Amino acid sequence: MSTESGHRLEPHTADTRVRAWAPTREQCIAEAVAALVESFAQLRPGGEPGEPAEFDVLPGPPDELLIAVLDEIIYLIDTTGKVPSSAQVMADDGGLRVLLELAGRDRIEVIGPVPKAVTLHGLEFSGDERGWSCRVILDV
Amino acid sequence: MPLVRESPYRFRIERHGKMRVPGVVFATEALLPRAGEDRSLEQVVNVATLPGIVGASYAMPDVHWGYGFPIGGVAATDVDAGGVVSPGGVGFDISCGVRLLAADGLDVARLRDKLSALMDRLDLAIPRGMGQGAVWRLSGPSELDEVLAGGARYAVEQGHGVPADLRRCEDGGVLAGADRGQVGRRAVQRGLTQVGSLGSGNHFLEVQAVDRIYDSVVADAFGLSPGQICVMIHCGSRGLGHQICTDHVRAMDKSMMRYRIELPDRQLACVPVESDQGHAYMAAMAAAANYARANRQLLAEATRRVFADVLGVQMHLVYDISHNMAKLETHEVDGSPRRLCVHRKGATRALPPGHADLPDDLRAVGQPVLIPGSMGTASYVLTGVPANPAFDSTCHGAGRVQSRHQAAKSVHGKELQHQLEAEGIAVRGGSWRGLAEETPQAYKDVDAVVAAAEGGGLCRRVARLVPVGVVKG
Repeated sequence: MSTESGHRLEPHTADTRVRAWAPTREQCIAEAVAALVESFAQLRPGGEPGEPAEFDVLPGPPDELLIAVLDEIIYLIDTTGKVPSSAQVMADDGGLRVLLELAGRDRIEVIGPVPKAVTLHGLEFSGDERGWSCRVILDV
Repeated sequence: MPLVRESPYRFRIERHGKMRVPGVVFATEALLPRAGEDRSLEQVVNVATLPGIVGASYAMPDVHWGYGFPIGGVAATDVDAGGVVSPGGVGFDISCGVRLLAADGLDVARLRDKLSALMDRLDLAIPRGMGQGAVWRLSGPSELDEVLAGGARYAVEQGHGVPADLRRCEDGGVLAGADRGQVGRRAVQRGLTQVGSLGSGNHFLEVQAVDRIYDSVVADAFGLSPGQICVMIHCGSRGLGHQICTDHVRAMDKSMMRYRIELPDRQLACVPVESDQGHAYMAAMAAAANYARANRQLLAEATRRVFADVLGVQMHLVYDISHNMAKLETHEVDGSPRRLCVHRKGATRALPPGHADLPDDLRAVGQPVLIPGSMGTASYVLTGVPANPAFDSTCHGAGRVQSRHQAAKSVHGKELQHQLEAEGIAVRGGSWRGLAEETPQAYKDVDAVVAAAEGGGLCRRVARLVPVGVVKG
């Protein structure tokens, strides 16, 4: 388990598998959001400032919190055509509060297929005081 | 994974552990998934543990590693013996499928001079990628309800096509039993602005030429002739279908314990077909299937408009068929007819000649089966055969052997475009990496896949099509 933060994309024949790690559960989820975005979009510098957005996730086990956040991000992308340029995830009374900045089309270069769903296959999310890591497959 | 070779085209995985039936893999030695890189045979074993499964857990020759179900998997459960329905056995892209249109009196030679102009117009006319809109601007949620209930039939009633189209659509273009009440708010929101859009990933619209006819009588009945220009459209139910699958998998994942169902993979989440939750999923799945069929109907209309404008030719529909579905069908099991829920995840229904569900003009020849190859390679039109050993199912495409990640590292999209254009194939891409991810090297050889499907007694070849132009999602 690493105490550093980071993320990467891993090979899987079906679709896109992301791996993320960070010192805390919330930071690890934020890294997974960044990986999801990087799997299909590059953000251009400049342009209009991002539009703020936020949502809450009800309390639940860690894997359900991760899934709920990624589900919501995919829904936002599909219905607004905007992409999170930053994500801040905070613990909130057992659940989560997620603060986003959404970048519009003028700041997005689409470089790959857009994720459409989060799968439960091979889902991993665990951690302790030494750090957290997750692995999740996205359908595109 | 120990495999017993039963014939040059068929392998068996004996029952072991919690498997309720054996696994059967239709493939040649060369097409078998590579151990270590592809875990689809483990997934065949996992599917064999589903409650109520009958016959075997089948893998088609294009099988590859999916999530829960393998892609290229077929599983039938006995509805009246507690058989389950698993949304993962249908897939996220519910009723993803293929539509083939044939241009009347147009061959490659006549098209060549106008190919570039045609591709430029298709590039503009076919919405694809994130936030690029759709061909059909629905008036609002109430019109979406009509699409979910009426599918391609509703689209044709609104003037987006001709009644003859519906005779060449699986189920007449509309799957019965759809219930808008089982489609969640988020699915509706995702579906409102995407009717008539290609999406991304492996979806495409391809201009093709008939390269070879294997059976001229059947090809003639399908409306195909040598050298003829066709258009193949591969897409599905877009965000709406993905959201319906997501919602129902999540709900079933939580309620399986109530039915004492234990599974080796959460993405296989399932409930008995004959349960409130099972009925709810089947009704929502039918709504998504209707959305997918309307989607392909609208893309076909946009294509026809471009062909009429640029070339002055009309196009007739050869067929529209899904390869991600669960259907209630009656098949003989151990000598008696049983009501089965047949899951085809990346597999295509292939009805033989004489089947009662075929329209009159196809009954003598069987159902057209449309097999898209990988980008830049051949595609096939097949037909069903009697005594199919996998509940009237066959393959659905070439089948991936490389991850998107590996494919994108092997070639740049721009370089791939140059290669394809050097072969005379015009390309209008979505994104460079999206293009690179679909490089033909990332897939099995579709010629070998189709030959294995035929060798395994799953289908019969009717025509081979080669690409002339690609509009990539």
